[in-house]
Amino acid sequence: MFWFHLNSPSGTNRNSRRSALTDYLASNNISAQQIRDDWDRRQAEAQRQPDQAQQESSNAAEESRSPSVLESPEDPIKKRKREQAIARIKNSKEFAKRKARLTGDCDDDDNDDDFLALQIHEAKNRPKPGQLANCEICDKRFTVTPYSKAGSNGGLLCVDCSKKQKADEKKPPAKKRAPGIGRRQNQANLLDGLTPHGTQTLLETCIKKVADYIHDIEDFGDLPPSLLLRLGQILSRRRAVTSRTLDLFLRPQYTSIDLFDCAKLDTDDYHRILASMPRLTRVNLRFTTPMKDQIFHYMIERDMQIKDLHLDGPNLVTDACWRQLFMKLGHRFLSLKLWNLDDAFDNETARLMCLHCPNLRRLKLKFLHKVDNEMLEGISTLKSLQHLSLRFLHETETKTELLLEIMGSIGHQLETISLEEFESADDRLLQHIHEHCCHLTKLRLTLNSTFTDKGLAAFFTDWSNPALTYVDLNSLRDVDMTNPTGPEEPIGLASDSFIALMEHSGSKIQHLNIASCRHVSYKAFEQVFAEGKIYPNLKYLDISFSTVMDDYLTQCIFRCCPALQRLVVFACFKIRDVHIPRGLALIGTVGASIKIDGITQTETI
Amino acid sequence: MAQSTESEFVTLVSNDGFEFIIPRSAACVSSTIRLRLASSKYKEGSTGRCNLDELRGAVLEKVCEYFCYNEKHKDQVNVPDMDIPPELCLELLMAADYLDT
Repeated sequence: MFWFHLNSPSGTNRNSRRSALTDYLASNNISAQQIRDDWDRRQAEAQRQPDQAQQESSNAAEESRSPSVLESPEDPIKKRKREQAIARIKNSKEFAKRKARLTGDCDDDDNDDDFLALQIHEAKNRPKPGQLANCEICDKRFTVTPYSKAGSNGGLLCVDCSKKQKADEKKPPAKKRAPGIGRRQNQANLLDGLTPHGTQTLLETCIKKVADYIHDIEDFGDLPPSLLLRLGQILSRRRAVTSRTLDLFLRPQYTSIDLFDCAKLDTDDYHRILASMPRLTRVNLRFTTPMKDQIFHYMIERDMQIKDLHLDGPNLVTDACWRQLFMKLGHRFLSLKLWNLDDAFDNETARLMCLHCPNLRRLKLKFLHKVDNEMLEGISTLKSLQHLSLRFLHETETKTELLLEIMGSIGHQLETISLEEFESADDRLLQHIHEHCCHLTKLRLTLNSTFTDKGLAAFFTDWSNPALTYVDLNSLRDVDMTNPTGPEEPIGLASDSFIALMEHSGSKIQHLNIASCRHVSYKAFEQVFAEGKIYPNLKYLDISFSTVMDDYLTQCIFRCCPALQRLVVFACFKIRDVHIPRGLALIGTVGASIKIDGITQTETI
Repeated sequence: MAQSTESEFVTLVSNDGFEFIIPRSAACVSSTIRLRLASSKYKEGSTGRCNLDELRGAVLEKVCEYFCYNEKHKDQVNVPDMDIPPELCLELLMAADYLDT
């Protein structure tokens, strides 16, 4: 406008006389002409308005009647602005949301819309945090904070008044859980081994609480190692093991450390573990992704007395370093467990391991990408080995012959065997185990579709080995999709072998997993869990995917296994309505009605 | 011995002298206390009075609260965990370990 006056004195010959300013404006694409025209137009409009305003005033009075409790004499510009703001609010998402919430209670028309829009408008115009305002109730002056509560009329409340109001609002009715709603939580608890009735032990409750407040704890005090282990488990599960919480676990006087999730630690933290616990003999660390060569070098330099080394996923450690470790410290190793190594640890390293760790009693190698049949030869030379656990990658072709050799040379001293996913191993392996092993307590042979029912039955019949306590034979079955019942001569653990197994080990067995052994017949189950048979020590039984299982058989199982704590029945859809004893967790039922000592719970999906 | 089997309540005493009288059945959730009360060799067996010198009053109070909480809810499903004040939880953890509950 100022520029306009500069330019305007002679309106007649605007084209001929241009000021410097006009030139400057033109060079920036602003036309003085345009500015002047706009001004003229606005002037003209302003003159016309008084007439219109008079006409509108009658309408406006009517319009403003509804929401404007707070209406005060305002100038028309302010009012127009507010109306525009309200119109904008009416179009906004928030308005739509609030309206949707309200319509449940009252479905009036426009009046409500106006009122609601006004409310939102007021809420937006409330004093900002840090400003002063008067309390709506007691009129006291106070400083607004982000936590200040709004009163019933839209104003803000002071601290005292909002406390009073909150106290009135509080005490919502205690929510009663409808049956079925907590199904997911119930199943999760069952999988954690919690029985669905009664309280948890005080110990578990406290450990959970400590885990909740782990970041406020500076020192654990004199916690015994067993509790430290349990806390480590819970914190690992919550993924709360960090450099900060690690400090709580570092005890110079303790000789073992177990951390099941080290993913958030870095190389320095591993140094800290080794440096502050010089007496370590047992190192059990999982998810050790950031572990590097230096850590092993440190162990070697200090000549640490490590006997048990359990590491999951230390992929940054090189083959050269592994070999050095075995050469320098291997003679002390009593147990070695390694999981998930994809970049290092090849057959040559495995060979050196067998060579330099002659005292190994326990060896577990799972999912090592670079080893295969070749390393099996070395295992036969471990003359102290008592526990063997192997699982290669799915793609690895395995040969039965090498396993036979292992059984032939060290089978007599083995106490536990776990061979998973040796798909092509055949009945000869069973014969060799039958022949050579006589001290086994635990046997795991899983994911195989080559063993025959006959072979397995012969294996468990007249076996000189005493009764087993831990048996996992899951997924021994034929996998021909076109023939779900399997061939005439049953493949895998079927009726005969199941009966033979329970004949052999029934007296001592504690843990039995026969999930997916789907050729076991109804009759065989009936015979094994017949009246009069008793398996006094059986605590864990997994019969998932045994589709013949029904309510009757389940009750038979409960009768024959008085100590049973967990029964896993995924995909046993014929279990519909069971009465389970106290203290037992039935896992994996779908939509079954379960009765525990008079308490009925109906599950829904 | 005869007397202790009759009495329905037992007294637990903390190291700072607080006494808590609670039902025997509730206290016997703790196998430590159960063994001490059941044994005729110990004084506790005959008097039904257990001195727990390892626990101070505030902790023992919470322990007793747990005993009763456990007794009350033992036949119910989906019982929520008892509320434990965070400042007590480490001490209580040690106590729970000692009492084997």
